[in-house]
Amino acid sequence: MLALTPPWTKRRVLLAVTGACLAVATAASWRDLGMVPTSLLAGVSDVRNLMERMLPPRLIDGGRVLELALETFLMAFVGTALAAAVSIPLGGLAARNISPNRWTAGAARGFISACRAIPDLVFAAIFVRVLGIGVLPGVIAIALHSIGMIGKLIADAIENIDEGPRHATEAVGANRLQAFTAGVWPQILPSFVGICLYRLDINLRTSVVLGFVGAGGIGFALRDAFGGLLYPQALGIVIVIVIMIGLFELVSGRIRRALLGDAAVVLPSHGWMGLGSRRPRRKALGQGPQPTPAKGRPASGSLRPPWTRERLTAAAYLAMFLGLIVYAFGELQLSPLEVLWALPDLGRVAAKVIPSQIDAALAGQIFSAMVETIAIGFVATIIGAALSIPIALMAARNVAPAKWVYAAARYGLVVWRGIPELILAVIFVAAIGLGPMAGAFALSIYSVGFLAKLVSDSLEEVRPGPREAVMATGATRPQEMITSLLPQALPAVAGHVLYVLDINIRTSTILGLVGGGGIGFLLFNSLRVLRWEVTGAILMLIFVSVYSIERLSGWLRTQLR
Amino acid sequence: MSVAHAVRVQGLTKHFGDHAALQDFSLEVPVGQLVALVGESGSGKSTLLRHLNGLHRPTAGAVEVLGTDVGSAKGAALRSLRRRIGFVFQQFHLVGRSTCLENVLSGSLGRLKGPRPGVIGYPIAERRDALAQLERVGLADRAFQRADTLSGGQQQRVAIARALMQRPNLMLADEPVASLDPETSKQVMDVLLRCCLELNLTVLCSLHQVEMALGWCQRVVGLRDGRLVLDAAASDLRESDLRDFYSDTETRKRKADPTRTPVPAAAITAR
Repeated sequence: MLALTPPWTKRRVLLAVTGACLAVATAASWRDLGMVPTSLLAGVSDVRNLMERMLPPRLIDGGRVLELALETFLMAFVGTALAAAVSIPLGGLAARNISPNRWTAGAARGFISACRAIPDLVFAAIFVRVLGIGVLPGVIAIALHSIGMIGKLIADAIENIDEGPRHATEAVGANRLQAFTAGVWPQILPSFVGICLYRLDINLRTSVVLGFVGAGGIGFALRDAFGGLLYPQALGIVIVIVIMIGLFELVSGRIRRALLGDAAVVLPSHGWMGLGSRRPRRKALGQGPQPTPAKGRPASGSLRPPWTRERLTAAAYLAMFLGLIVYAFGELQLSPLEVLWALPDLGRVAAKVIPSQIDAALAGQIFSAMVETIAIGFVATIIGAALSIPIALMAARNVAPAKWVYAAARYGLVVWRGIPELILAVIFVAAIGLGPMAGAFALSIYSVGFLAKLVSDSLEEVRPGPREAVMATGATRPQEMITSLLPQALPAVAGHVLYVLDINIRTSTILGLVGGGGIGFLLFNSLRVLRWEVTGAILMLIFVSVYSIERLSGWLRTQLR
Repeated sequence: MSVAHAVRVQGLTKHFGDHAALQDFSLEVPVGQLVALVGESGSGKSTLLRHLNGLHRPTAGAVEVLGTDVGSAKGAALRSLRRRIGFVFQQFHLVGRSTCLENVLSGSLGRLKGPRPGVIGYPIAERRDALAQLERVGLADRAFQRADTLSGGQQQRVAIARALMQRPNLMLADEPVASLDPETSKQVMDVLLRCCLELNLTVLCSLHQVEMALGWCQRVVGLRDGRLVLDAAASDLRESDLRDFYSDTETRKRKADPTRTPVPAAAITAR
């Protein structure tokens, strides 16, 4: 007689144990934050009370607010551009297949990971202390943190190239740099453009809150409004932010299609954006320096590539990009030299943050604050996951019960995701008071919008055939969803949830800035009183925690395929 | 309404936008008959089969299957009809990440209430039944293997087991072997038609090559451009009739004549 229950294979046991551990961690987090399931409902009514005080929104001194909005965008833009410029060589050094040696690759990867682990807001707070209030610390903070993502994705893209062209260029006697420009760069260019556009999207969202720590942008105005209890004004500014972010999402979608074609750009290490561009799409920006065969024979008479439409588009965007860079430096009153001169100052700080002796009591405080930070991340992720699934079902074209539901859900999500998490935290702190619960709620609400978008995208990728086959057996819709839709989407959905867990734990390190609990309070406080060694210790702890959770979730994601 | 007919199609017309996939198509299939549908791809075979279990809705005409008017059936009535119709797809359409047993079990969803997560979500009796169906198609030893680890022929056999799990009265198969190599094709066809004969099911199976079906089927129905152009008992069907059917299709394709179908030799249409 054959068994009627699935056998316990090693893989199933492993997954079950990991799942149980995550469940226990979530439950423990829930308790640690002193939350009960009904607290969410109580929180909702508190937020409604606050919302009533915010209505109707107003915009006093609108001209100034719009000016700050422009400044915010330019900061994000310059920061992303700087990060992109640094990430190309750094990513090359970090890619194991073209790096000079293993140690260089390891060091470059380590630096990139450190940049990723420290939130840009933390970088900004540090640089404001060193360089003074203004946009410069903001720009450098954005750049440094972005290197953590752009550099990693470039390195991953380089490791995934087709090695043939590179070997071929080396075989004709090209040196390492020539091999890079001729054999590697053209292959990764489309992903590079996609990565940078995507990062610019993210940076716009984070740069609106950099003003909270004095690093420029619209966050200044928002902090003043909340600080002065001018709630209608605060709501007015939040609306400006949401419109700006929503508009840019539309524009960047356009640019992406113009440069990369209709094919969705998928980035390698994030399954949810994963990279379909193994086949070279050459219509993107610039094409990079060509390996010009000096004595090449003129194939069709001309020695210059013809101005095709694609090439014109690419050139127009390149010109626009360069023009915007020049304009941004002028408008922000930055000079490239200033950025360079900031480097020694930053070096001095780096020396100072090396943690020396820290007394046991403080160490204990730091440690329990880190636990609280991780707890916030877990709770926010589980609430976000639970609430996002029904929304995602409505926002997936192939699942939504009606077209208008789909359209409403999709547009709703754009607005939802337009509210940066720290602003949500400010709102929740104002509504339900200081503490980790406010932070956890804010992060939950943010995760819902973020996850619902990712999950609905994955649902749309589910193959229709097996779904139809189950419907053809006479199953109901709910039965079909459990039997066919969910099993097919499960690896992607689990991957997204783990990815959001990653992000939430990073983000919960800064919630303390606005009173949302976690290690952020101690961190920003140490900066306020200039106890650099404490800052250093906290940063190291954040790095270790965030990095190990990133590795853990990365491993789990590969197991779930 | 005579229940002696498993399938009764009258004047069925289906338009997809401007394109007419089926035009004034009529067909009656008595209970227990094995019918092969032949014709080029795009001739309307799949569209016809998909009307029979309500995956498509007719633009005009009437479709009656197992005594139910499919055109107007919806909700629970449609589901209870579908439960009695097994459907085998060209691309198998298994949930690749789920085990074979779970895929087979999904055939029982129509008679169970509520969603069923995983194998353990199903009653023991259904699990036993599903295992028996896998045994019938010769794959009981693969019950807990992921479906996407199987070969194409094996996957199609799992899909057949899923359809049998429904305990159907009618089996529809849409090009069940078109994605398989000739040797595997023969095995899969044998499994499909043997099971259907054992259970005395009515079968409509669309195929590219008639030869595959001649040994098993009692009747061959040919379609071209959404119209019925051949309807003959398999025993009466002469080699030459088939050759005419195909060569005619070929000529038409070469000419790419967009005008109306010339009516083929009346002799072929005779039963």
